[in-house]
Amino acid sequence: MGLNRLAWRMLAARPLRTLLTIAGIGLGVGVLAASLTLGAALDASIDRTVRDIVGHADLRISAFLEDGLSTAAIKTITSTPGVATTAAAVEHRTFLDAQTGDPQSAVTVLGVNPATYPQVHDLTLVAGSGFTDSSEPIALVTQSLAEHDHYTIGSPITLLGVGGEQQLRVVGILAGSGGVAGSGRTVLVPISIARTVFQLTGATRVDVQLDPGADPATVAKALADRMTEPYVLSSPADIAAGLRASASAFQGTAALIAAIVLFVGTFLIVNTLSMTVGERAREVGLLRMAGSTRGQVVRFIFSGAIVLGVVGSALGVTIGSAFAYLLATTVSAATGVSAIVTGIDGPSAITSGLVGLGITILAAIEPALRAARISPFEAMRARFDLPSARAGRLGWIALVFVLVAALALVAWPPAIAGAGAQRALLVYGVLLVATLLTPFFMRPMARLLGAPVSLVLRLEERLARGSLARDRSRTALTLGSLVVGLAMVVALGWSAQAARASANAWLQGVIPGDEVVSSIRPIGPDEGIREALQQQPGVARVTPIGTFDVAYRGYRLDAAAVVGADLLADGRLTAVSGDRTAALSSLDAGGSVILPEATATRLGVHVGDTMSLLLAQGGHLDLRVSAIVERSIPATSGEAILVSWKDATDSLGVAGADAFAVRFTPGASQADRDNLSATATQYALEASPIAKIQGAVADALSRVFGLFDVLAIIAVIVAALGIVNTLTMSVLERVRELGVLRAIGMSRRQAFRMVVVEAWVLGIVGVVLGAVVGVGVGVVMLAMGGTLAPIAGVPWVPIEIAAILGLALPIVAAIYPSRMAAKVSIVQALQFE
Amino acid sequence: MRPFRNDRSISNAATLEAPTRPSRPSWTGLRPQSGPDAGPQPGATMPAILEANDITKHYLLNKTTVEALRGVSMSVAAGEFVALMGPSGSGKSTLLQLLGGLDRPSSGSVVFEGRDISRLSDSQATKLRRERTGFVFQAFNLIPLLSVRENIALPFTIAGQNPNKGELRDRIQQVIDLVELNGKESHRPDQLSTGEQQRVAVARALVTRPSVLLADEPTGNLDYTTGGELLEALWRSCEQAGQTIVLVTHDARAAAYADRVLVIGDGRIREEIVLGRRVDHSAAPLIARLAQVGL
Repeated sequence: MGLNRLAWRMLAARPLRTLLTIAGIGLGVGVLAASLTLGAALDASIDRTVRDIVGHADLRISAFLEDGLSTAAIKTITSTPGVATTAAAVEHRTFLDAQTGDPQSAVTVLGVNPATYPQVHDLTLVAGSGFTDSSEPIALVTQSLAEHDHYTIGSPITLLGVGGEQQLRVVGILAGSGGVAGSGRTVLVPISIARTVFQLTGATRVDVQLDPGADPATVAKALADRMTEPYVLSSPADIAAGLRASASAFQGTAALIAAIVLFVGTFLIVNTLSMTVGERAREVGLLRMAGSTRGQVVRFIFSGAIVLGVVGSALGVTIGSAFAYLLATTVSAATGVSAIVTGIDGPSAITSGLVGLGITILAAIEPALRAARISPFEAMRARFDLPSARAGRLGWIALVFVLVAALALVAWPPAIAGAGAQRALLVYGVLLVATLLTPFFMRPMARLLGAPVSLVLRLEERLARGSLARDRSRTALTLGSLVVGLAMVVALGWSAQAARASANAWLQGVIPGDEVVSSIRPIGPDEGIREALQQQPGVARVTPIGTFDVAYRGYRLDAAAVVGADLLADGRLTAVSGDRTAALSSLDAGGSVILPEATATRLGVHVGDTMSLLLAQGGHLDLRVSAIVERSIPATSGEAILVSWKDATDSLGVAGADAFAVRFTPGASQADRDNLSATATQYALEASPIAKIQGAVADALSRVFGLFDVLAIIAVIVAALGIVNTLTMSVLERVRELGVLRAIGMSRRQAFRMVVVEAWVLGIVGVVLGAVVGVGVGVVMLAMGGTLAPIAGVPWVPIEIAAILGLALPIVAAIYPSRMAAKVSIVQALQFE
Repeated sequence: MRPFRNDRSISNAATLEAPTRPSRPSWTGLRPQSGPDAGPQPGATMPAILEANDITKHYLLNKTTVEALRGVSMSVAAGEFVALMGPSGSGKSTLLQLLGGLDRPSSGSVVFEGRDISRLSDSQATKLRRERTGFVFQAFNLIPLLSVRENIALPFTIAGQNPNKGELRDRIQQVIDLVELNGKESHRPDQLSTGEQQRVAVARALVTRPSVLLADEPTGNLDYTTGGELLEALWRSCEQAGQTIVLVTHDARAAAYADRVLVIGDGRIREEIVLGRRVDHSAAPLIARLAQVGL
């Protein structure tokens, strides 16, 4: 019989242990495969989205201000050297008739030049025809919109715009999303119609194809020299980078958790192979005595490891599909970047499979070397035990840990390098230190935390605690993996809690009202809508808020026009520099600006400085920084700088408010609120209580963090598999002891309870250490994410969840070994070897 | 002669010479709960405390039925010292396990103190072992992670009693005195010599004052002198305290301490040799008798 067959038999002799180890490897590889597949799917999705957005264009020139690019600007672009084709378009959000008020029913109207747009963008019709006349009131709708809203060829369609309603006729249906990015609810109309509906003269953007051989950088420079209006220039690469950045935090955390699950899996593999070597020491000694070389012994152990690695990795790739689907669904919902996953892709399957196999082999090195060092003489002793091997096991885990980190760094998604990688490394490092310190805390903590149990189950607690101390290295590895898993549950839960608290406090601290009435178009001061809302019963005050972009020193900044007096009266904004009262009092008069702290820090601007903003018509608007506040009004990509309505409308081209903050009188009833909501709907506005917005934010955060929790729980489950293994081994090692205990009067129930208590002590120590380490990891995550503040609170709920998991899973894991202990045959156990 | 020779350290030697310690421990404080008040003469006048009635035991080993016992009948009187002797595989250990309620016979009955224990439920058998019998094994079988004192107190702890209070504490101290392990109560088994470990096992078996002490090759792992001292002590517990003992051994020297020797072979009792209660434990009469019957 070859040694390889002996390795097979070695695995087959302990089927449960083998299966649990394969499951552990499988879960680790599954999460890794899912993470890699998600990355590949996101890349493909981003490329697809970029193609949808810019088509065959080499550059996109977008209007910086809301009134778009003028026709003169479009002519300038068209005549710039190197520009071959231009496709001007008006893109605007609005409602179709009879659907006002529900933001889900909003559509994107794309006004295009029927002659030039198809040169840059592919438009595939599934029904009807394309544009024939550039001024005819006709429309193309996307297939998804047609199916959802039941449009067919010839259906009438009515657009609501600034200039009133526009009746159109559907002449064609575009395939899929119609090659237009977004929700897929898109209506293509001739650009002349769009200009009329939205009262624009030029375009909101111009897509540009360059002459063959033209250098985009040279063209960009020529545009900068020739253009007089502010604009934003982007290339497909810029757009792709922006999209990747939006999904990078998610990808980074998923990759980190995958590394952690793999690491926890490594504990399981090292423990399993170490147990096998310990258990098979006699056989190994016999093999050595019979003339086997050390190399043969090493190969014998490696053969077993390779079998575990190959089967586990294959299982992982299989179950990874389900994980990948889960990840893709969540990332799409959370970031808007649609990742389509139909299974694990080839490269991800190969990479994760090789990583799984590689880690299994790495984990096998130490047990294999230990097996090779077994002397035939030592192995023939009745009880084989090498204390030095135990210390080596922990050292080896540390080395494997570092190697896993190195592998992760090599495979780390480039889009999330930098701070994301630093954070992951630091978190990983904290977990490593915690793992290495676990053996030192294990014994005193087991004694301390087991004391209450000993009041009820004195014998079981005493024996359980002693059993845990029997092989400290093995217990430390088992406990370490549990601690790592639970720590991640606590840390991620705390991060979610902090994010929710921060978002709630942000809204609560800056919105001057109880409800926000929002619009998808700017509402001008002369439309009388603010006054109409103000007159509703129970309404104390209506504050208009208009968000827009400004250009400052080459930066695009989010800005908001607000009423300083209302913010002052409502006690909103917290100044970190400057006098809040003076700044808000003087804001409405114009000439000043209030900055959020993050923006001020990024720009290096202080109170008293002057910010010179670029104006659309040329020239600058100088604003004095009157205060820097902790948080400001949320905007497209962060927080807005706050300016007066006077400056916004007079100089910065803001057409109107896109939201109203409504403050009710103290005695306002629910009927008043309902009435306001109904009134808002009449004006195609949506009223949302602050609590509802907070709830929506919390829901979105919960979806993302919920998925991370699921992944972290997988790590805890892998740890639980390790507990089953360890307890089973512990029972097998103590069969004789159990026989003695049963012979002198221990009942089966006591034997069962003894193992359960052992698991419970392991669990309670794991929970306490996991909570402490989790808080440490959480501090790192929050500090590096900039959200470590008192508002983050104490993570009681995550700790409670970790406690439930940490106590329940080990007990579930103990069921099989406990039953085994209870069923020990006294006669067989006492047979002398 | 001391009941046990301390074979390890000088400090123990000093302990042994402590003036308060009697030169020979008394067994009377450890009288079995149902045993006679004084050391009885074994045999005819005493009622049987333990009986096996035509018991058989079959095992299924890889689809092959192994007959370990083929209809064994025997009885042990209260206060009697019986040795079960025979070669390896003869069935003597199996018989001991059935007598002690560790296993059930395939047929026949085992009557302990007038009660058939061969059909007891697991929990009833557990209670019987905890309260009425004591076991000593060849391999000592101490719990390595418990101290000497904790190992001895184990039957009480298993029963949910607090061994650090009142009478139980006194009983534990008595057996510690008896086996001369004073000063080593907090030692772990791996810090003791083999002789000391077996003494702990004996103390653990005696601490509950069992009706019957069942010993399976208790001297198998001990050297000649230490083994002799252990046998001497067992005999004295029988002689002074009326402890009923069933001893399994393949060694004629050990069996010579018994009042009666049952020679087992091939799953049956082949010979009964009555030696009587003797202060002289010479193995010569037993060996002669064994030779006489061709064993």
